[in-house]
Formats: sequence, C-alpha cells, structure tokens
Amino acid sequence: MLESKELTKVFGSKTAVDHVSVKLEKGHVYAMLGPNGSGKTTWMKMAAGLIKPSSGQVLFQGEPVSLNSRKHVAYMSTEPYFYSWMTIKDVGAYYADFFEDYSPRRYQALLQRMELTEGMKVKTLSSGMMAKLKIAVTMSRDALVYMLDEPFNGVDLLARDEIRASILQYATEDKLLLLSSHLVEEMEMVADRALYIKEGRLVECVDLETMRSERGVSMADRYRQIYGHTEG
Amino acid sequence: MQFDPMRPIWLQVMGEIETDIVTGVRGPGEKLPGGRELAVSYGINPNTAARVYQELEKAGLCETRRGMGTFVTGNAERIAALREELARKAVNDFLKKVGSLGVSREDAARMILEEEE
Amino acid sequence: MLKLMKYEFRKTWFTKAILLAITALAEIVYLIGLYGDREGLLATGVFLLMLLAVGGLLVIGLGSVVTLHRDMNTKQSYMLFMTPNSCYSILGAKVLECGISILITGAVFFALGALDITLLFARNGELKALWDWVRELLSSITINGRSFLGDIRLQSLLSVSFSLLAGWLLTVTTIYLAVVISSALLNGKRFSGLISFVLFLILSWGCARLANLISGSIGDYFMLMLVNGLICLVFSAVMYFVTAQIMEKRLSV
Repeated sequence: MLESKELTKVFGSKTAVDHVSVKLEKGHVYAMLGPNGSGKTTWMKMAAGLIKPSSGQVLFQGEPVSLNSRKHVAYMSTEPYFYSWMTIKDVGAYYADFFEDYSPRRYQALLQRMELTEGMKVKTLSSGMMAKLKIAVTMSRDALVYMLDEPFNGVDLLARDEIRASILQYATEDKLLLLSSHLVEEMEMVADRALYIKEGRLVECVDLETMRSERGVSMADRYRQIYGHTEG
Repeated sequence: MQFDPMRPIWLQVMGEIETDIVTGVRGPGEKLPGGRELAVSYGINPNTAARVYQELEKAGLCETRRGMGTFVTGNAERIAALREELARKAVNDFLKKVGSLGVSREDAARMILEEEE
Repeated sequence: MLKLMKYEFRKTWFTKAILLAITALAEIVYLIGLYGDREGLLATGVFLLMLLAVGGLLVIGLGSVVTLHRDMNTKQSYMLFMTPNSCYSILGAKVLECGISILITGAVFFALGALDITLLFARNGELKALWDWVRELLSSITINGRSFLGDIRLQSLLSVSFSLLAGWLLTVTTIYLAVVISSALLNGKRFSGLISFVLFLILSWGCARLANLISGSIGDYFMLMLVNGLICLVFSAVMYFVTAQIMEKRLSV
C-alpha cells in the first residue's frame, strides 16, 4: 500500500534517509523505531509529500505520492502545527474544509474521550492536551494510511492509554498505520510489525509475534541488539 | 495488564481468557467482546486479538457465529478438560520450581498436604 | 480555492481591522477640523489619512509576504501542505486575497479622498475657486500642441490609481518569488536572504524596463497609465506561475 524505493534525502552534508526500500501492507500497525535523528521523521514527511526526496520515490497504491495520496494519507507531525488563533472547534472546521474523509462525529467522540472541549484555545493547551488534540483530529479522518510521528511524546500515563485506545479502535483490516517512537515499550503491544532504522538506513522489518515465538525476543530486546553499545 | 514482551502476546491473552472461562468470569455460552474491543481493552494489536480468537476456536473453547460474534463454548466437558489442563500446567510449574530447589516429589506432596488447614 | 482564501483572510484580518479603526479615527479628526474650523486638526487629519493610504497598502502587501514566509518556514506550513491542494491553489489564494485586499483598500481611500475634497470645497468656496484655477492652468500647459497632463478628470485619476495599485501587486508577487526561491532553492545556504534580495531588485528592474518598452510610446496619459497597470497585472500573473512552479517541484517544508 505504501512503498519506498531507494528513498534518499540529503540535507547539506548529512544523509537523513539513505536508500530505504520497504513495502508496507494494509491491515498492519508498523512501529518505526530508532533513536532521535535516525531518519524516521524525514521518511514520514517524504511519504506525506511534505519533503521532496533527493532521489528514489515513495509510492502510494503504486502511484508516486501526490495531491491524490494526500486525500488518503493522514499525517501527524511531532510538533504542534495548528494556527495560533484556532480553537479546538476551528481545528475540526479546518479539517472539514479540506479533507473529504473527515468525520465530525468521530471528532466529537474522540474529543470526549480525550476530555477536550471545543472552546479551548490551541495556544493555551498543555503539551499533553496538544498531543491528544493532534491524535483526535488526525484519527477523525477515515484515511487509508495513518502516519503518526511520536504520538506518545510528552504525554502522561493516562493520556497514553487514551491515545493507544484511539489508535487501536481505528486500526481496521483495510488501514495501514505507521507509528514512530523512541519510547519502545509503548509500542510493544500496539504494533505487529517493526521497522528498525539506524542512521538513515533500514536495518530490518520484522513480524513481532513471529520474532517472539521463534527467537523469544521482544521488540525492545531487538532494539537493544541493534542500537546498544556492544559490550564484549 | 502487564505482558511479557518476550513471549507471544496472543498466547498470554489466550491464557487470560482461558483462566476467565475456567473460573466462570466468562460463563459457558457467554458472548465475548469483538476483536476490536478486545484489542482496545487489552491495548494490543488487532491482528493479535484476532489470532487469540482463532486459537481459542481451534482449541474448541469458543465458537464464532456468523454475524453474531464469538461465544464461550457451552460444552461443559471441554471446560472441565481445560480446568484439568490448566491445573496440570500449574502443578508442572510448581514441580519444576521445587525440583530446582532439590526437593523430591514425595516431599513436595507432603508439604502440600501440610499446608492444608 | 475559496476555502483557502477564507483562511488567508483569517490570517490577516486583524491587521486590516486595526487599519480600518485608525482610518476611521483619522477621518473623525479631519471632520472635526473641517466643521469646527480648527485648521490644526484639519491638517493633522489630512496628513494622517494620506499616511494611512500609503502605509495601509504597504502593510497589507508586506503582511501578505510575512504570512507566506511563515507558511513555508514554520511548523504552520503543514497546515497548508498536507491538504490535497496544489501549490498553484495555495499560492493563488494568497495572490488573490492580497490583490483583492489591495484593490479594496485603494478603492476605499480613493472614495474617502473624493468625499473629503467634496466636503472641503462645499465648506470653503475660496478653495474651490483656487482649485479650478490650478486645473485650468495645468491643462493649458501644452507640449507640441498636446496637453501635458490633460484635463485633470476622474478618468485620469482613476487610471493613475489603478496603475499604482497594480504596480504594488507586482512588487508583492516579485517578493513572493524571491522569498520562495530563498526557501525552496537556497534553503540552508549562506546569504540566501541577500541573494533573494538582489534577485528581487534585478527582477523589478527587468519588469520596469520591459513595461517601458511596451508602453513607452503611448502619448495619452490616461491610456499610458491604464496600459502600465495592465502590464503590471500580466507580470504579476507570470510571477505567480513561476513561483507556484518552483514550489510544486522543489519546496520541502
């Protein structure tokens, strides 16, 4: 459903994403793992069409990402990006104006779950509330692909539970979810596949339950193997 | 709940539900939550949740009725067999543990009876 | 497109509201001066209104440039560029919103000026007589048997205003191009700001030369201004297309 071919992005002298080829299939929740600066965000932004690749390409349903793919790909960035004059209600209205797959009903339900009210001003939200708002409005779209960059960042334990539940609720067989995080434990149960990215390169893409039953290795164990300092 | 991330998650959730069936928390013929509901309530991946029901069905512990959902089996014999299975597994674990402490099976059995009040 | 324009207006309305409020205040000062026979206030009102007309257009145009810059270089950029809108629509909404704002602002100040002068003449007959004399004098100045400025009529005033407004729109769209080149092509490079400023100067000079070549031979002042204004609009459209093309192909936010 979403595929990158030899995808590369160079910023000045730094190669952020280095010839990454990977095929992501619908019906799965992928965890994109790697330390900060390993290229997760850049890969996602290229898949969202926000950053133009230096070389290689990203295909959505076999076609290069374009205006059409933006209709079906819901991207959530780590940083807050709403206009500062907006209220939570305005944010929903904005999505309603530009995304055909946006559902106001779903937004209402998610806001309620997240304990947010429409009158709140975006400017005054705490980082935890902002994280919840971003999830609420992104998951209000009935998109085919959801790419959530660091959905659990800066969020307390209870809010994490709400965010996790909201994500799982809409992860149906015809959807593809890609979540990036450096909080590996948080992703362990939610994802069924993991992409390990190291210094811009794809190390491997594994099925987690297969890895657990065949090797007795958890997602976090594998993370330590790949990124940990080799000691003896 | 807390899972052991080194063991397959479906196996652990399945174990939870098996315990629920034996203890009667989920009675015979009772409707089980849908796959998605299960995923949300345990905080696990939906594919993992689906796997749990597949395996439970394979083990004859629940049945899926088209358009109605998944139900705990009404077969009392099967549930009794499950109780036996789980108990034996617990006994095995126990014996492994005391065995590693160098205690014989006979001594272990005596200790169990002494514990009884 | 209309939806995009709605949000462009939403981003800039506060400045416009403030401009409107200050203008209303200046007009009140002028009217008090006029009807209260207080020449000091009258002069202050005239000065303020003229300042506001020029400053207002400046603020609206440059405000639009600042918004574009912010929409490409801050996190706010995701708001626009993750929507299924092409760069042509996104930039088009900005150009149109800015162009319409400039036009409306120009029209408002033009009408206000006309009204204030009419009121002034009605109140003060001597000034009217003076004005008529100046007008006659100007139209009697001829070069090669043709009137230099022509009769100062509404028609020529309108064409001059149109030409000025269109020229300002061209300046704004030229700055757009420079800003986009700086963000999309020279991003992260040294002196990108300076390079785009120099580029802006060159482009402006080129446009002026080209416009002169086309309209330089037109003798009639009214026609000259009208054609100049139209040329500026065409050039603005060209700037828009080139800018949108660069955004579409090269911009990473």
